[in-house]
Amino acid sequence: MTPLQRVVALRPRLLAALLALLIIPIGLASAPFRHVERINILMPAPFADATRPLVEQFNRLHKGNIHLDVIRGPFETEAISDLAISSLLLGDTPFDALLMDVTWLPKYAAAGWLQSLDPWFDASDVETLATGAREGNTYQGTLYRWPFVASMGLLYWRTDLMDRPPETPEQLEAISVKLQADQKVPWGYVWQGRQYEGLSCVFLEIIDGFGGYWMDPENGAFGLDKRNGVEAATWLRHLISSGISPQAVTNYAEPDALQSFKVGDSALMRNWPYAWAELQKPDSEVKGKVGISTMVAKEASSSTATLGSWGLALLESSAHQDATAEAIRFLTSEEAQKTLFLSHGYTPVLVSLFQDQELIKVNPTLPKLAEALEHTKARPETPLYAQLSDVLQRELSGVLTGEVSAEQGMKNATNTSTVIMRSAGDRR
Amino acid sequence: MKTLPVRRLLIVLLLSWSLGPLLWQLYTSFSTNEALITPFANIDHRWTLNHYKDVLTGNPPFWRYLINSLIVGTGSTILTLCIATPAAYAITRSRGTITNVAQTMLIVAALFPYVLLFLALLEVARSLHLGNHLLALTIPYAALSQPLAILLLSAAFRDLPIDLEDAARLEGLGLWSRLRWVLIPLIAPATASTAILVFLFAWNEYPIALTWLSDSSLLTLPVAMARIAGSSIYSVPYGAYAAATVLGSIPLIALVLIFQKSIVSGLTSGAVKG
Amino acid sequence: MLLLLVPAAVLLAVVFVAPMLHYVWLSAHANSVLTGLVPIPNQGANWLRLVSDQRFWQDAGQTLRFTVVSVSLEVLLALAIALLLDQRWRGRGVARALTLIPWALPTTVMALGWRWIFNTPYGPLNQTASLLGVAPLNILSNPSITWMATVLADVWKTTPFAALILLAGLQTIPTDLYEALRLEGASQRTCFLRITLPLLKPYIALALLFRLAQAFGVFDLVQVMTGGGPASSTESLALYAYINAMRFLDFGYSATVMIGSFILLLLLCLISWSFLIRLQRRTGRV
Repeated sequence: MTPLQRVVALRPRLLAALLALLIIPIGLASAPFRHVERINILMPAPFADATRPLVEQFNRLHKGNIHLDVIRGPFETEAISDLAISSLLLGDTPFDALLMDVTWLPKYAAAGWLQSLDPWFDASDVETLATGAREGNTYQGTLYRWPFVASMGLLYWRTDLMDRPPETPEQLEAISVKLQADQKVPWGYVWQGRQYEGLSCVFLEIIDGFGGYWMDPENGAFGLDKRNGVEAATWLRHLISSGISPQAVTNYAEPDALQSFKVGDSALMRNWPYAWAELQKPDSEVKGKVGISTMVAKEASSSTATLGSWGLALLESSAHQDATAEAIRFLTSEEAQKTLFLSHGYTPVLVSLFQDQELIKVNPTLPKLAEALEHTKARPETPLYAQLSDVLQRELSGVLTGEVSAEQGMKNATNTSTVIMRSAGDRR
Repeated sequence: MKTLPVRRLLIVLLLSWSLGPLLWQLYTSFSTNEALITPFANIDHRWTLNHYKDVLTGNPPFWRYLINSLIVGTGSTILTLCIATPAAYAITRSRGTITNVAQTMLIVAALFPYVLLFLALLEVARSLHLGNHLLALTIPYAALSQPLAILLLSAAFRDLPIDLEDAARLEGLGLWSRLRWVLIPLIAPATASTAILVFLFAWNEYPIALTWLSDSSLLTLPVAMARIAGSSIYSVPYGAYAAATVLGSIPLIALVLIFQKSIVSGLTSGAVKG
Repeated sequence: MLLLLVPAAVLLAVVFVAPMLHYVWLSAHANSVLTGLVPIPNQGANWLRLVSDQRFWQDAGQTLRFTVVSVSLEVLLALAIALLLDQRWRGRGVARALTLIPWALPTTVMALGWRWIFNTPYGPLNQTASLLGVAPLNILSNPSITWMATVLADVWKTTPFAALILLAGLQTIPTDLYEALRLEGASQRTCFLRITLPLLKPYIALALLFRLAQAFGVFDLVQVMTGGGPASSTESLALYAYINAMRFLDFGYSATVMIGSFILLLLLCLISWSFLIRLQRRTGRV
């Protein structure tokens, strides 16, 4: 057979294959053609896994009208933002909504990527939120994000080593020094001193606790090199140089601090709400001996907990805004929050749930979390937050390891921050 | 030949250095998760095909990325050759200075770390709405491949005897006919090795594909791999990742083994003449 | 005739020249999320920022360290491999093809592979360590050693390419040169030092320059293998420029970082070039 003949001989099969190629896409395209609105929400993998039952429930409820898909994004916080931004920049995004960290909101809002939630959520909805959960959802007065899970910095303390938790920096030092002198614990206080976002969270609590501020929300001025800022940095350095915190704390992230506290090596720890469940596990040396309090401060009124919450934001480019808003409402409903709290220990955002006896039975720290939510403060709400935080982490890391004095470090951080704002086009 | 045992040892070392990491991926891709976590324990279920099943039935299935890369690779190769062949011919037949200047500029362009171009190219994609189109991606790829392609092809043209072209001209063949029927067939081997190198570049390119593609069903293989990588640092579904790396490597390994001669001659003639 | 050059010339101008000019212009403007990604002149604030930007200089140091260490290792190793592959032995063709495989694979594929190899505690390296009773090494989370892991991965991937260039050089050396010298009773060592190395020098220079430029622009490997971490200790300049654009949405500063990196690369190339020339003069020719 010549090659030509071979092709001719194959022709019936070829035709059949071509027909199949034509028919299959038509079939696929016509299948969902029943006016079902398909919406996609991008979430970091752990949240996507946690919400799976809720998504199924939502799809059952709206069968034939809305179909919700939660896209399982990367684990890492930054990676998920990168993924979202790369599609938003190209102007061709497959997502209708994003689950976003509190620090991303100003950037996304300023870029014009978010749709205001005001048509779907009004003042009476906002009132159902706990005080702290109301923060970090707006940019320049417009609501862009609805909180999904709350989180805030907490001071964990050992109930077997002290009667009550320290409230001021001085008390924290005194308690630590005494316990260390009595050889009850090797270390007094562990926290997050590694050069990463956690260090910025730690510092926000201390600088505000010392009566200072990182960035003034009114006029965008930096307060790092003011007296209180330098005092705050000096105090953190002092914790290390005086041996209250281990030298290694300069390389600690949350898991490292948790590890030290969990095996009973330190009397106090700064961490997020998730640590409570970890400390109650069977392998914990301090099970049943842990209390939760708010961060130390010079004056009780200035005690601060860094707000670290996740919330759902609707994208401006979404073609199904009503349906997506419906899904956001469902995923953040009281029922959904209860489910997520019971299955994954997610801290709720609604006032009503903090008094729910059923939930308190599961986690007795809930009232304490509600109290901490009264003290929450958002990190500087500017689209340039990521750069500013990076600068602060670098300088603080230098201060903590003793490479640079607190005064000089804070001065550098302030200068660099100002330069960044100017180079990015801030004209204040 | 008393040095032979030493040499044999060196060869074994070289091959295990080059292939060891790949073989480890191969081993990982067939191992169950339990086998990976407790490597020295005795377990019944040591081997599995599940990782491959997961990868191939994922959303989108893995072969989709291979097809996307194939489309981009083939498209870029054709486009590159269509533009580079006439240019290479023109350079070889021009006067000395033009050739020299062009040659130097091409070498500089070939050395240039093109990753620095991604931002400008992203702006191009944004303003011309070229994002998420596989064939649009062939334009920057063809441009980035020009320096290497022109250098290789012009070296091949230069090797052809000038009498040959003169004879063809006397026969009354125009420029186009000379190129089409005489010169291009004669440089076929060089064209083949250029094509392979361009194809490899387009198949493997990462930063531009990363910024030009966001739709998960349009990703090329390197971007898809990176996205898979981003989905975890802390957990251990490395079996599936290893299966993905193996599947992603097979086409290239086949390509290298089949076209070994062309690749080597392409690279070496580039080095000797460039 | 020159018309044939037009498409290629236009394409090259659009893709290589225009972007660099655009960056120079962009670096004099604020063009970030604050300005709605619209360029506004900012009186050199970007350049002021670059000079005082600790992260930029740290990344420049890291990029330089990465480049110098990995390129020197690569060229040395490539020389050894080229010498081995230049000799005649059975299966040489197959071995040559197999050695080439790492170079042909997409960087991101094996960046993922290396992450698994260096994984703590399940990667093969740490499993071997635990078998020997050595404490596990947190290779990918220790800022002082992670960069070495990226160097290793880069050497693995790009040595074959350098080896091939050197192999091409070896094959241009006529064999009668060796025979002549050997007749005089010279040892293999002398042959290597007096013929191979001097005649190979242009190829070594080529491989060196080519790899220098490529390694300085390292992006794929670092982005996938470490993401620039821990504590941005493995972050390269290209990655920093990328992060500025895609994560911080500051195109003006990203362009400034790219021009800055380009200037540093030019300096590096000039320094290595003059070094190579001086070396050439000092050792002279055969």
